[in-house]
Order: sequence, then structure tokens, then C-alpha cells
Amino acid sequence: MKHINPNSKYDAIVIGAGHAGCESALALARTNQKTAIITLDKNGVAFLACNPSIGGTAKGHLVCEIDALGGQMGINADKTTLQLRMLNMGKGPAVHSLRAQVDKHSYHDNMLETLLNQENLDFIEDEAIEILTDGNKVSGVKTKNGLTLEAKAVVVTVGVYLNSRTIIGEEINDSGPAGFKNAKGLTDSLASLGYEIRRFKTGTPPRLLSSSIDYSKFEAQKGDYHIQTFSFMTKRQNKNTHVCYLGYTTEKTKQIILDNLDRAPMYSGVITGTGPRYCPSIETKIVRFSDKDRHQVFLEPESARCNEIYLQGMSTSMPKDIQEQMTRSIDGLQNCKILRYGYAIEYDCINPLNIHPTLESKKIKGLFTAGQINGTSGYEEAGAQGILAGINASLYLRGKEQIILSRDSSYLGVLVDDLTVKGTIEPYRMMTSRAEYRLLLRQDNADARLTQIGRDVGLVNDERYSAFLKKMKNIQKIKELSKKFIKPNPELDKFLQNLGEAPAPNGISIENLAKRSKVEPLDIKRKLGIFKRFTNAEVTEALVEIKYAGYLSRQNQLIERERKLEEKKLPADFDYTTLKGLRTEAAQKLNEIKPLTIGEASRISGVNPADVTILIMSINRK
Amino acid sequence: MTNLHPTRHTGGAFIFINPQLTNYIVCIIIQTMEKIMNTNNTIVAISTPLSSGAISIVRMSGDDAINIADKVFVGKTGKTPSSFTPRMLTLGTFNAVDFKEQALCVVFKNPNSFTGEDMVEFQCHGGVLITKGILASCVKNGARLATAGEFTKRAFMNGKMALADAEGMMDMINAQSDAEIRAGFNLLSGELSKTAFKAQEELTDILAEIEVSFDYPEETIEYITKSNAKERLVDLYNKIEKVLASSSTGKMIRDGVNVVILGKPNVGKSSLLNALIKDEKAIVTPIAGTTRDIIEGTLSINGLRFNLYDTAGIHETDDQVEKIGVDKAKNTIASADIILFVKDSEEDTAEDLEIKNLLKDRKHIIIINKSDKTGNFSTEENTLRVSALENKNVDKLADKLYELASENKEMSGGLILANQRHIDALTRANGHLLDAISSMEAFSLDIVTIDINLAYSALGEITGNTTNEEILDAIFSKFCLGK
Repeated sequence: MKHINPNSKYDAIVIGAGHAGCESALALARTNQKTAIITLDKNGVAFLACNPSIGGTAKGHLVCEIDALGGQMGINADKTTLQLRMLNMGKGPAVHSLRAQVDKHSYHDNMLETLLNQENLDFIEDEAIEILTDGNKVSGVKTKNGLTLEAKAVVVTVGVYLNSRTIIGEEINDSGPAGFKNAKGLTDSLASLGYEIRRFKTGTPPRLLSSSIDYSKFEAQKGDYHIQTFSFMTKRQNKNTHVCYLGYTTEKTKQIILDNLDRAPMYSGVITGTGPRYCPSIETKIVRFSDKDRHQVFLEPESARCNEIYLQGMSTSMPKDIQEQMTRSIDGLQNCKILRYGYAIEYDCINPLNIHPTLESKKIKGLFTAGQINGTSGYEEAGAQGILAGINASLYLRGKEQIILSRDSSYLGVLVDDLTVKGTIEPYRMMTSRAEYRLLLRQDNADARLTQIGRDVGLVNDERYSAFLKKMKNIQKIKELSKKFIKPNPELDKFLQNLGEAPAPNGISIENLAKRSKVEPLDIKRKLGIFKRFTNAEVTEALVEIKYAGYLSRQNQLIERERKLEEKKLPADFDYTTLKGLRTEAAQKLNEIKPLTIGEASRISGVNPADVTILIMSINRK
Repeated sequence: MTNLHPTRHTGGAFIFINPQLTNYIVCIIIQTMEKIMNTNNTIVAISTPLSSGAISIVRMSGDDAINIADKVFVGKTGKTPSSFTPRMLTLGTFNAVDFKEQALCVVFKNPNSFTGEDMVEFQCHGGVLITKGILASCVKNGARLATAGEFTKRAFMNGKMALADAEGMMDMINAQSDAEIRAGFNLLSGELSKTAFKAQEELTDILAEIEVSFDYPEETIEYITKSNAKERLVDLYNKIEKVLASSSTGKMIRDGVNVVILGKPNVGKSSLLNALIKDEKAIVTPIAGTTRDIIEGTLSINGLRFNLYDTAGIHETDDQVEKIGVDKAKNTIASADIILFVKDSEEDTAEDLEIKNLLKDRKHIIIINKSDKTGNFSTEENTLRVSALENKNVDKLADKLYELASENKEMSGGLILANQRHIDALTRANGHLLDAISSMEAFSLDIVTIDINLAYSALGEITGNTTNEEILDAIFSKFCLGK
């Protein structure tokens, strides 16, 4: 790390080096903006504070999208994969989701190294305590160690560190996650800049000593046979090196928790922050679903380098002695040793209705927020916002138009639109059911959807771009070649017979073969040896589009129809309380959010279609 | 390449792509509003139950309301409504097209009226014919029939009413003509919207169960199977179909009113048909009818579709050229909603009498074509005299057809429009359900959800639930999930 002059000038400063901060800083530096990234502790860079995995349902999509835009998360996950699974196989291409168990130490090391080796990027270990402004523009950052750094753009990616406290039973620590220091000064600074501050909560389970576990009592969960990668740029074929294990809580676990609810911070009133519904603690699960006798737990390796096991499913903030009893009530864990106790963490975050869909503050120009500070949860959600904030900060610095990703372009677009238009009352998690154009937003076509955007903003390098163009060309080729006819042959007969598909005695075109319901696109390459010279990714994308052409075109029609309605714009500075006939609630919401299109207005909760009608009438009159 | 819609932030101009669900409704609202804004501005409706009550009220609202009233109403003192004292009842005479009627008139000047526009109300003696006659006179002089809930909507648009929380979406989408709601005439729509609500609830459950398997593939929950999903969708489909089919009004709105034209050859059936189709009130629509018969023409009268069927085969009754064939007539009229019995002479043959007897209990009109003495419809004889070739009196036939079809209370006024919207939405929802059911075998569940979601959003046009939040809520309340 080089020495930083206390009055250094930067184009951009990124506060926080978690998953959002890393992507932001890299996006800025890679687009030639002189950038500094400030972190409390370099050991906390890209730290996987909760589960040691990247991806999963809908989150895998986000990782692929980050990658398609030229980000780092996918590359880093591929480099550090311990086990990989494609979830939802058999449920259709739209919901296929990659999930990798990764080595959390290597993940951190690799990302730190990437930051340190990045041109245009200074790495500062310090605490940002104040964001400086000049009028309505951001002008720099003050640090605890006395640095006053000038910058025209600032990206705040402080994760769960703001005024955080961790809670283990009666024990409350003034601390960040996993024993890291927390950040204190910035909340006031953000509040004074017009952000509404909220308090959210999340939690994590205990970590166990691997050698103290009797694995024979668990069911082994192996990785996929055909292993895939997140990143378009990963050439190396990954291997599964580790196994996960599945087990269950017992009647005894339930009893221990129920007997000690008075000591559970979740129920004794100690915890006041809002937690996520989709990531409940074990005590919440047992209380809310009391009819369930048992709950699943998974043993996941934290790293190849240490003996630590993550006990997924047992997120808890119970006191330490209870955590021990609870854990040991599980078959195979009778003698287990807890290395680190589970805890709940409460932290400050902002109301995402205070930011534009570009992630820029509505009040202060050049000030961006990304990640958990915006009310989301998850590494992938954070990383995805991080790259968007980085891109837009860079565009802002270069005087260019910022990017808004539409709901039909990406999960990232859905995420940001949900956050900034609907807001959220709990930590927001990406889910496939949030995306209405799911079939268009697949993992396999993330590059087709986003790489051109990444290229346009300068984040996709020549190597990636030419590989992308080649892939697109090959996909086109496969589509053309698919019109070809396969003559009847024994191999084809056997293939169809094995699938239980009707025979094709007169042969069949590849296209029609792909459209057969039981034919998986990739089987055509793997089992029939067709399209061997093309990559799996190319074959998958081309054949998925052939197979689902009808549905895809229907989704496109819907998008087209709605786009016309989207063109109706609303003034940015209008006072809605002056609009006759609008309900008070709607007027207040509209004044708070100041939507810029009718479409945006129509998605605001508290604005009903009758109100939307008024808006339409009023713009028609103008 | 898949569609790319990167949109740009241009200093205050955001472009978004909407979720399909909400926008579809917005789309409908825009269309409705554009209709209201751009076309005839003055609306009229019957505001009381259409029955033989003591009095009936017809009201008009809009810029032309008072002008139109001037053309049809004269006060006892000779003053016309434009010089009446606002909000005072004035006795006078209503000059309808076909009759004069003593009535009361009251004028409201904007903004001091229910809608905030100029309004006129006529209070006349009760009775279907009188009330409809008054309505028709207003229309003839430039008003147009109000769509469902349009008075309320205008009141709302003009700031006379802040919609209460309970209103809003539901009112906009589900609204009946406010008058008819008060009159308790919304039985059908009530049933239809109840069906939509129930169906959507069930779809929410099904979707939640499918979605949870995508977002939480590794939980210890019993995931929905394709066969279970299919079974429940089929069940739902059948329920909706049953409701749609059981309502004769629903059928009429969906499939049109079946009008069978009965008569010997050469009595001028086709010239009548042509004249009817050419009549300005009858708009020929390109919508194909059912296939069970040969439809000679389809036309729309006041928004209601009529399928005109010739009695195919009857005029080919071999050697008995001059006869209609009573047996054939029997069969034909069985499937008709309305029968037009066309004759070319005032006299009845024995066979004519027999046929008339058959028609006795059915909605029918006897048409004497090629008649020199055309005139008004004769209620007594149930007869209308027209000259199709000279296009005389044919417009009255269109009116009479509409009147017969809408005798059914459910069909009156704005309800047709409201019902049409409900039926349309339910029909589309069922179409999507059918797609979902039939793609269940061939496609994976993620694909099937596309159709289920379309069905869900079609129902949302009635219920107002169009976001996926309900589904997420259902997921989290039903299942114990999460790491």
C-alpha cells in the first residue's frame, strides 16, 4: 500500500470494500477514473460474513449479470470454487441457477489482490466519517485519521457496518460482523445529506470445528457432474473438491429453543431492527411454524485452508450456552465444538426511495449508495448494485448520461426498480418470482443482454468483447445449422427412446428435435454429438431460444406494449398536492418519490390506478 | 440477441419498463379516459331501476347537457331549461321522439353538481318505455350513453370526490353505472367479480407453490407436482367456464345475440338483412360468430353484438316452395334468442298462424316487408312494417332488436359495458389457463408460469391485484423457509 497524501485529490472515492465497494471501485478505476477505496480493515475486503457460497436462485443470475457488465464477482467465485451446483435443473431454463460453495479465505485474498493490483485505484485503510459537499454536489470525504480527500463522486458501500451491534443472547457488542470494527460517524453525515435512516437486522449461524462432527450421521451432498462457471472469462474447468452435508434438527432442538425463548433477543425485545422474512433465525422458524417437527441444516465448508464448518439453517442470536445445547441436539453434532457463535446484527441503512434508479442520491449530485446500505441483503445483490453505482459514478464524472437498467433487461434492473420505486420494508432479497420477464432474463444470455452496455461504458475489455462477439456469431450459426435435417439413424432412435420421446422414423430437423419436450438443449451436443465445435454455453443459448421461441416472442410483445405506456413522462419538480382529485396519500407518495414517468408512478405503493388516471389526464391536458 | 432496453438517465427524464400487470390496466384506463376525453362529452343514463315504479330519473352531464335539455323540455311557463333557476324542480313537458310526457326537470350549473359539470335531471312517470324514450331522445339530440360508473368517474376527475381508500382501482375497473348499483342491478357483475376474486386467490396459491419451488429448491416442503398443478388449474378453468356459461347475459355478451330470420323465399329477407346492416345504428363487425350455422351478418347495436342467421334450408323445402315448413321452423327457433318473422303480406295463411303460435312465448318481431304503410312498432300486433328495399323504417328495427335483447335487466345501460369487461377479462383468463394446462405436459414449470401469470393479470383487471407482492406474501406465510 502506498502512502496517501492527506490532501489527495481523486475523481471518485468508494467508502467500504465489501462486495458492492469492490465492484464500484473496480468499475471506476477500470474506466480510468482516479479512485480511492477506503476500508476499516483490509482483512474485511470482500469478506463472506455469512454463508460461504456465491450464487443460488436468482442470485446466480445477478452474478452472471455482474460478469456480463465486466465485473469481478463471477471471476472471483470461479477461482475459489469448492463445489458447484446448478439448482432447479429440470424446472426450466428460466430458473436454472448456479451456486458455488467458495473458499472464503481465498475469495477475500483474490479480491484484495485484484484491488491492490488495479491501476488508478488507491487502497486506504481508514474510517470515513463525513461526506463533504459543495452546494448540492459531493466534494469529498473526511476520515478518522485526518485525511480530507477531494472527490467529485463518492460511492457509499458500507454494508452492515453503520452503528452496528451484534447480539448473542444477553451479550451485545458494539461491533461490525465477525468481530470487525464498526463505523460510527457516517450515519449522521448521511442523515444530514437528506437520507432517511432506518435500522435493519440480519443474522448468522454458528461455525463448527470440522473434526468434531460425526459426518456419518449426515447425508452427503455432492456437486454437479457437469460443472459450469459464472464468468464468461473463466477458461479453466473447475472441479468439485468439497462435499456439503444435509441433516435435521430434532425434537430436542425444538424443545431447547422453546424452553429458552425468554432469553432469545428476537423475542425479549432486545432486537428492534427489521429482519428479512426469507432468512429467519431458527428460533423464528420454530415459533412461526410450530407444527414442523424438524428443520434442515446443511454443513458447508468455509475454506480449504481451515477446519471451519458453516451450519446453514441455524441462524440464531440465542445465548452461547443455548447455542451449544441446540447445536448438540442435532444427530452427528453431539460432540461438536463451536468455533464462533451465531449472532444477530443490527445496522443503519437508508430508505432506497431517497435514491434514483441510477443509485445516485436525489438530493446530492455525484453521491451514490450501493449494497446493504440501500436495504438489500446478500453478496450478489450488493455486488450488482456496486457495479451499477460504479458505472454511473464514472459516467457522471465523464459528463455522460447515466444508465438505468429496465426490468426487462436484467435482474439488476428489477432489483433497482423495486428498491427505488416500491421501496422495501425488510432487507430485500432477489428472487426469481420478482422478475416478470423471467424467460428473457436467463443466466445463459446475461452477456447477450448486458455486455454491450458494459462495452459502451468502457468496462468490457477487448478480450472479453471479442469473445462475446464470437459467441454471438456462433449462436447465430447454430440457429442456422439447426434447420438441418438429421437422417434416421440408430443413434437418434436410441436417444429418443431413452427419453421416452416418440420416434422419428423419417428423421427430424435439429430445430424440431430441440423443441421436443423431453429433449434438453445440451443433450443434443452431449449425446448426439451435434454442434461439437461449439461451446456448451453457445449451444445452450441458441437451442433454448429455438425451443422457447413462441414464449419468448410473447414476452417481447408484452414488453413492447408496455414500453409505449412508459413514454409518458412526468415533470420532476411538480407539487402533486396541487393536483385536483388526487388522494392525499397518493399525492404524498408522489411528492416523496417524484416519479419521472407514468410507469414509475404506477408501481409506487399507495398510488392506485385511479390516481394514475389523474396523472395521465393531467399530462394530457398540458 | 435478446431485446436490450438500456435506457438512459437524461437529467430528469427516466424511462422505465413497467411490469406487465399494472400497465395492462393502465392501458385500459387510458383507453377509457381517451374515450371520455375525445368523444362526445355529454353523457346520459337512467338513474333509477328500470321498472314500472312510480317515477324514473334520467340524468345528463356535460357541456351540452343544458342545450340538449332545451331541445326536449319546455317548462309550463314556456321557459326552457337554460333559463330555469338552478337546483329548482320545474314542471313541464318532455317532447320525446314518439310521445309527449309530463315531467319534472332540474338543472345544475357547474361546478355545483354531482359531477362538477352542467347537469340536467328529468323525473318522469315510471315505466320502461317512457324512461327509455326519454333516454333515446337525449341521445338523439347529442348525448351519449354513459359507460359504467362514468358519472362517478367524472365527479372524481373534477375533484368533486376524493376517492376513499376503498375505492380507486376497484371502482375504476369494477364500477357499474352508479345508478344501477344503487338499483341493485349488478347481480351478474357481482357474480362475475366474485368469481374473479376467488379464481385469483386460488391462482395466488398455485403460483406461490410453484414459485417457492424455484426460489427455495432445497427445503423440506412438499413441492407442487405438475399433475397437482394441472388438476387445480383444470378445476379452476371449469369453474370459470361454468360461471361464464351459466349466465345467459354472459353468453349474449360473449357470443352475441342470436337472431334468426324466418320467412318464405322472396319475402325480402336478404334485402332486410342488407338494409339492417347498412343502417347507421347497426355497425357491421368483423368478429366471426359461432360456427354452428351460417351467419349472414354480424352487427353491433349500442355495443351489443347480434348474429343474424338465415334459416338455411327452409327455403329449399323441395316442392313446397311456397311454404316455410313448420317443422323446420320449430327446430330453428329453438336456438334463437330473437326471431324475426318476415312476411310480405298483411294476411296470415294457416301456416303463418301456426308459426305465430310457435313464436308466442319467444322474443320475436313480426315484420311485414314491402309494406306501403310503414309506421311505428305496433305493440299490439308485435309487428313492424318496413320496406327493406326502400330502406324505410329499418332503423326502428335496430332499436327494437336492442330493446328486446336488453329487456333482461342485466343487459341494461352501462351494465352491458361493465359486464363486457368482466366477461372479457374472465374469458381471457380462461384462455391463458387453457394454455397453461395444455403446456403442462410439454414444458417445464417455469414456462407454464408465464401463462398462469397472464391469467392472474387478466383477473387483476377485475380484482385490482396485479403485483407479485401477494404471491411473495403467500409464499412466506405458507412455508417455513430460509437458511
